Amino acid sequence: MSLLKPFSKLPDLNTANILLVENEEQFQQNLANTLVEETAVTVTVRLAKSLPLPMENDESRPRIDLVVFIINLTSDKSFESAKASLKYLVPGYFLGKVCFMATNARHASVRTGCLDALRQLAVSLHCPLLFAEDQTPEGAASSARRLLTILKVASGLVPNTTALYLSNLTRCTMPPDIDQPSFD
Amino acid sequence: MDNLAKHLLQRLMRRIPASMLQSTLDKWGRLTAEKRKSLDFTQSKLTITQELVALCEESELTVKHITELEMIYVTENPNQGMWHTFQLLDPEDDAHSVELMQFKEQFKSHLSELKRNVSVKIKKHTDEAVWIRVAWGDGLSRPNHLKATYVVHYLQTPYVFVNALSSKNKPLLLQALTLSTKHQQIKAANLSGQKLTALRDLLMRQYQQVFPTKYPSPLPESDQSISKLRIEKVQAEASANRHRMAGETFGDGMLPALQSAFFQLETKFKDPTNEAMTQRDEPFICSVKFSSSNLLESLRHCASSGIASTPVTPLLSSIPLKGRNYFVITDNVPNA
Repeated sequence: MSLLKPFSKLPDLNTANILLVENEEQFQQNLANTLVEETAVTVTVRLAKSLPLPMENDESRPRIDLVVFIINLTSDKSFESAKASLKYLVPGYFLGKVCFMATNARHASVRTGCLDALRQLAVSLHCPLLFAEDQTPEGAASSARRLLTILKVASGLVPNTTALYLSNLTRCTMPPDIDQPSFD
Repeated sequence: MDNLAKHLLQRLMRRIPASMLQSTLDKWGRLTAEKRKSLDFTQSKLTITQELVALCEESELTVKHITELEMIYVTENPNQGMWHTFQLLDPEDDAHSVELMQFKEQFKSHLSELKRNVSVKIKKHTDEAVWIRVAWGDGLSRPNHLKATYVVHYLQTPYVFVNALSSKNKPLLLQALTLSTKHQQIKAANLSGQKLTALRDLLMRQYQQVFPTKYPSPLPESDQSISKLRIEKVQAEASANRHRMAGETFGDGMLPALQSAFFQLETKFKDPTNEAMTQRDEPFICSVKFSSSNLLESLRHCASSGIASTPVTPLLSSIPLKGRNYFVITDNVPNA
């Protein structure tokens, strides 16, 4: 079984490597094109449909600093595929090197409970949950900017900060129940 | 112009959309140029109809001319109504040399032998299709032009497309077709739909086919831009395989716009968790209908994106390979 390990390879100079995992393989291409336009850091992007990644590419693959799961909330298959891919990551990744990105959150055909289930998953894994708009280039650009912020920290290019410190700030939390009275 | 002709013209005008009216009337050519110019096409359809009826009365046009107009309209806009396909079988030795005049005479004579009082109009379209319009009457009444049957046949191919045929007249039409094309049998081809062009393109494979090749892609270019080098698809081979297999099954580029597929399942219920149903001996009858604005395109996308497993199951691949969209599936022989 080829588990993905965060620190098993040596890093390159001024390089950040990101892995985008998406079942539909649509949004990841736009995101990748925007991400590589960054000039301050050399960003390499790997695109995958699901984990595990094939063993044959293992040698040529660099150290992956951030794994992003892109989940389309209108499709159950997307969510199931992302959940199934999670077990191919070593637990070390969940200390700030995994991020969830949800698309189509406002779509009319989102099944009730799907967003909550995703939130529960992100909370239990202590990962940030971002929402992205995938139909326009501006949407891709803004999601890419947010991912870059997290990516630079996760690849160690920001001094005095590590991915674990950042994840304490960015990780997803369940919103308090509206039914419960907030005053006594 | 008698009442029937007027009625027919009015019904026809309701069918023809306002945008196509002018071009259809021009193609018809039965009204002189000045009469056509006098029609003001910016008015409401009702007004245009009334003016047109008056003009036709002046020119003393009859039912025959109105049916010409209807045929022109249907020939130009074949994607309406429900078309059913039939296949001719067992050609005789000289079936391949049947040509248009011979076919026309034979068809007309066979059909009038089988039923009196039918009105038949045969026309050859620019794309080699023979269009036949049949208005059915019987020994007592005149042909009913309001419910005419249209038949499209490409000579020297075994396929016939039929629209608006009642079951009473079906054996007569089929027999006349079989005899006039010098075949011995005709059977239903299990392909029907609203768009004639899609059915025809599917059966005659008028879309881009993909053939299996040993070396599918040319050598990669060496001077790729820097940004493209930094993006890499990790599972590119699996994805390329899926695309290739989907293309080989369904074809490349624009696919014929087939709109539905119907599966009638008569198989035993198979669910290990549901004892009550699996204990029954009779087959579980269930029908599944797929519909889409372009069904083949969506099936190809299912296969290439991994939603449907590849190699594509014969249940789906039979649609383009056998050119059918109605299937009855039983336990022993799938796609019977």
